[in-house]
Amino acid sequence: MIEVNNLSFARGNTLIYKNINFKVQPGELLLVKGANGAGKTTLLSNIVNFIDPLKGSITYNGSEIDNHTASQSFLYISETNFAHDSMTLNQNIEYWLSIHNVKFDKHIKEKSVNYFFQQLNLDKKFYQLSFGQKKKLQLLLLMLVNKPVWILDDPLSGLDDRTIINVNTLFEKKLENKGIIILTSHQNITLNNYKTLKLE
Amino acid sequence: MIKNFFKLISSEFQLMLRGSIFSFVLYCLLIISCAIFSLSLKHESMGINAPLSFLYIMIFFISLFKVEKIYSLEFDEAKLHQYILSPFSLEIIVFVKNMMIYLNLIIFFFIFSPLILIILNIDLIYLLKINILLALSLLSIVFIASMTASITISKNNRLSLTSILTLPLFVPILIFSMAITDLIDFNTGKMYLFFLAYFLLNLAFSPLLTSFALKKLSV
Repeated sequence: MIEVNNLSFARGNTLIYKNINFKVQPGELLLVKGANGAGKTTLLSNIVNFIDPLKGSITYNGSEIDNHTASQSFLYISETNFAHDSMTLNQNIEYWLSIHNVKFDKHIKEKSVNYFFQQLNLDKKFYQLSFGQKKKLQLLLLMLVNKPVWILDDPLSGLDDRTIINVNTLFEKKLENKGIIILTSHQNITLNNYKTLKLE
Repeated sequence: MIKNFFKLISSEFQLMLRGSIFSFVLYCLLIISCAIFSLSLKHESMGINAPLSFLYIMIFFISLFKVEKIYSLEFDEAKLHQYILSPFSLEIIVFVKNMMIYLNLIIFFFIFSPLILIILNIDLIYLLKINILLALSLLSIVFIASMTASITISKNNRLSLTSILTLPLFVPILIFSMAITDLIDFNTGKMYLFFLAYFLLNLAFSPLLTSFALKKLSV
């Protein structure tokens, strides 16, 4: 369970948010909503321990989140792309799998790639791909890296309808397996049961 | 984990090879500068010290440019997030990247060094010794430059100025390199040991400080 108590964050002299409280149990999804600049991405960065809060606490299964806990349990997908432009799609997949220390299974990789990319040539250089295709590479990690908590910053932006359905199916499966998902999005998600946190 | 570590090294090696064009351009600039330096002093009788000092200063700048470029490309915020959440510590990733930058620079130096020595009018009997001297000192230069780069690429422009504080760390390398060239035929094993010791010192601190700066200033 992820529990956030009285969390506040300030950048310089500007208070971004104040006294945020929520709990996310295994099998639950929290959708963080808010206007641009409300602090959605900052809140996710606080949860993953990239930045320290001004005050308040964030715990995962009862203990404070440190770098070790974050690297063992959290998969974070940011809004911006992390792939290497000079590498092909295939090389990028292998690179990021080795960074996340994922045991390489050719069958699972092919199945996952097919789920998102269908007939796309994997030898294409990354810079030749469209925005949506680039986004899919990030989402591919959801299928290949096995971590109990997904922290996703606007994962649905730039995706076509078919891929959005595929991503929602992934969310459903994750929640069935008692995973935790915290995401920000300006779009509505198609799941029936989820919590919402609105940042002012 | 070990298998993936070697896979990571192999991927970094591929990335390093792709970045070779930039190194090639930098070394071409080095050759042009060496030619200008040599031509401008063609009527002066120079020993080995003046051209070698010039070469060292140029290599120092090349390393700084190369490390800055690689760090700004490969440690942008999105990639840094993934590195921080990787089971490999950021220090290890920094170490591997630094070693690949070093390999890239030193391989190019080995290739270009005969031409550079001819242009600078340095006797080719020194070729091997100059290569060894540079191979040893470049290790420390790259690791110190990584500390400089990690601060320079920070999002906070005011803090990026503090990277100047790391520059004095380069001074011992330049002093000892020149001290070695003062000795007849560069023949002193103990002096070379300085570079090894200085590298080990940098190896202990540089990846730690670099990754600390990346985490605190760039995320």
